[in-house]
Formats: sequence, C-alpha cells, structure tokens
Amino acid sequence: MAIPEGLSITKILEKKSTASLQIETLGSFEVTLNGNKIPDSAWKRDTAVQLFQFFITSRNARAMHKASIIDRIWGETNEKAGNRNFKAALHQLTKTIEPNKINREDQNFIIRQGLTYRLDTSQVWMDIDALDDLIIIGNQCMNDQPEEALVAYQQAVDLYRGIYLPNRIYEDWCADERERIQVLVLGAMMSLAKLQLSRNPKETIRLAIRALQIDPTWEEAYRLQMEAYLSEGNRPLAVKTYRKCQQILQQEFEIDPLPETRRVFEKVRG
Amino acid sequence: MSNQKETTSFVIRFTQKMYQDDQDETQIQWRGNIRHVQGGEEKRFSDFGKAMEFIQSKLAELTLESLEDKPAEEQKGILSKSFNLWKKVALDAPKLVIQTIKDPMAQVEQIQNQVKEVIDQNIEPEINQWRSASKTDFQELMAAVNKIAGEVKDLNEKVDKLSNKKKK
Repeated sequence: MAIPEGLSITKILEKKSTASLQIETLGSFEVTLNGNKIPDSAWKRDTAVQLFQFFITSRNARAMHKASIIDRIWGETNEKAGNRNFKAALHQLTKTIEPNKINREDQNFIIRQGLTYRLDTSQVWMDIDALDDLIIIGNQCMNDQPEEALVAYQQAVDLYRGIYLPNRIYEDWCADERERIQVLVLGAMMSLAKLQLSRNPKETIRLAIRALQIDPTWEEAYRLQMEAYLSEGNRPLAVKTYRKCQQILQQEFEIDPLPETRRVFEKVRG
Repeated sequence: MSNQKETTSFVIRFTQKMYQDDQDETQIQWRGNIRHVQGGEEKRFSDFGKAMEFIQSKLAELTLESLEDKPAEEQKGILSKSFNLWKKVALDAPKLVIQTIKDPMAQVEQIQNQVKEVIDQNIEPEINQWRSASKTDFQELMAAVNKIAGEVKDLNEKVDKLSNKKKK
C-alpha cells in the first residue's frame, strides 16, 4: 500500500520546527509560540486553557456554535454567566497565543464566523496530529516496507509521553479523544514490538512492558513478551509472563488466555 | 443547557477476540472496559451485566449527591423513581447492543419508532411554548436541530456501512 500523498516522516517532523505554534498534549500540556514556551502564568485563567484545549480536541469537527461550546465545557445553566465566561476566556486565549496581533488581518489561530468558532491548524504543529499521521504511515508500510514502518511507529511511540490532556481526566468533552489515542498507541506499540521481535527482542520486551503499564489486560503484549524472552533463551521469564497473563485475565475478566497465547506457552515449555 | 453536576459520563471499550477452539470451530469473545469519567474509576468485564451494575452504582451516587439537602421521605421517593428508570435502561441496553450486532436495520426501525413515540408524547404538547419564543430561544432551538440532524446523518452512514458489511 502506498503512503497517502503529501505525507512523509520527514515532513511531519519538519513541521514541528517550522510551525509558529507547537502544541503538546500527551503527558502534559505545553504550548510553544515562535520558539518560546508559553509559561503557565501567561494564561492567567484556567478557563482560557480549557477553551483552547476544547478547540484542539474538536479540531477536526466543523466550526462550533458559541452556545454549544459553553454547554460542552462548562454546562452553564445561566446564559448570561455562560456568555461572560466565554468572552473572558476567549479574550485571554487570543491575548496569549496571538500577543502581537494589531490588525484584524493579522494571522488568527482562532477563526470566528458569526457565532461559530474553530481552530485553524494550518500553522500549528500538534503531537496528536503527528502521532496520527505517523501511525498511518506505519500501517501502510507494515507489509511492504517494514523498515519505513519501523521508523514511523518508533517516532509515534516516542511522541506518546502519557495520556491526552492529563489535567482534564475528569472532564467528559475530551474523554473520547483520550480513549481513541490510547487504543491507537497500544496498536502502534504492538506493531512495533512485532517488527522488533526478529531485530531486537529486548526492545520488544520493553514495548510490551510499556503497553502493559497502559493496559495490564492487553493479551497481545504478554504473548509478544513471551516470544521475545524465548528468542533470548530466557524460558523462566517467559513462563513467569504467561502466569502473570493468566492471573490478570482471570482476575479482571474471569477468562483464560486465548489458544494463541497458550500455544506460545506450549512452545516455551518445549 | 445541562449542569455539570447533573452529568455523568462513561467510556466503554470493547475488544473482540476471534479464535479457533480445540474442535477447530471459530469462537468469539468480547472483553470490555468501562471508565467513569468524572470519578476516574474503571472496571473490566466480559459479561455486559457487570458494566450495567457499574453504571447503576455511579448513577445512584449521582442521585444521592443531588438529594443531600432534601428530607428523607422525598429522597426515598426520588430514589425509587430513579431506580425504576434505570431498571428499564438496564433491561433494554444489552438487548439493544445484541440486536445492533445481529440486525442493524431492525435496530434502526426500532429507534425510529422510539423517536416517533417521543415526538408524539413530548414535542407536540410543547410546541405551543415556542410560539412566543425569543430570538435567543430560537437560535438555541436551531443549534439543537442542527446537532440532531448531524447525528442522524452519522447514524445513517454507520447503518449503511453495517448493512453493506452484512450483505457481503
């Protein structure tokens, strides 16, 4: 399968240094404007950060009506209070990310059309978009260009420094994006671990352990870890990994490992 | 508009596992993970009933929290209503999931009937209220209608995809 037109690992990584706004959302929230990191104190109010993170989360949706935004983020019952909150947050947000804007024609990151708003991502580099694109390349190259897939997955996994917007784990407007990214990353980790099995089994073990830290019931990770220990000649650790898998699946789902995993275990036992 | 204190959200992840058993027959297994967003708690399940129990316990907490200041008698009455509502959801939801997997078209028909029922029972009597609606009310209504239209479109696309898959 061919890589979609205009998409390349180099371009994705280059955009990070050329985009005027860089946004990191995985593991922590950091924004860099023209090479300078915006300090936390510059945001003044949390609602401005919240509004910006909401725009980032809904970047692929159509422009959203102000009332919907207020409802989704703050669930404000009082219309006046909601509008006041939105106005103050938007004012602080644009002041923080567009500090030198003098004229209306100057570049805008937040696009307003009537009462709808959206984030213009053309001059923005975001770790989540880079992650998405790198995984697309990895998936497309997995069968025919494994070396290219390996680089793409590796870059994607390196970008994943933790969950999406960790300071918003109790808010529901970003829960689906967090879940989407986590499942995507687990898949990429497993594909990379598979590619590394014949090249560098130690890396397969490391990736499997990392995936199990995210989700201790991800059975494929146990299987790959067992295979990697086996290829390293470390049967005792392969057996220990199987026992751990058995115990977790029983404890969490009351089920046994899949036949595929049991077959690897039979191989381990010789 | 809703109030955040009256909102509770859940993220459910299903993982499908297909495998050949010892008799070489294809078997399917579902593993689930449910997370309560506002509380952060998580539960894994292979029986959908366990997920329902988890949701029920969180909804009961929500109802109890909002009843803190009410007299005991009133608390009892509202809790009983809340449990009855939940009982209906808990009985219907697993059926809904299974039916969707088995026959997406029949499911859509059922949803359409439910929508019609809701319109007949609720929208018609309320329509008179909108005759004296303000501009803001009207804009709110339009935003809601647009949102519903978008969701119906997405739902139709999903159903088409599922139906096509089934035909294949």
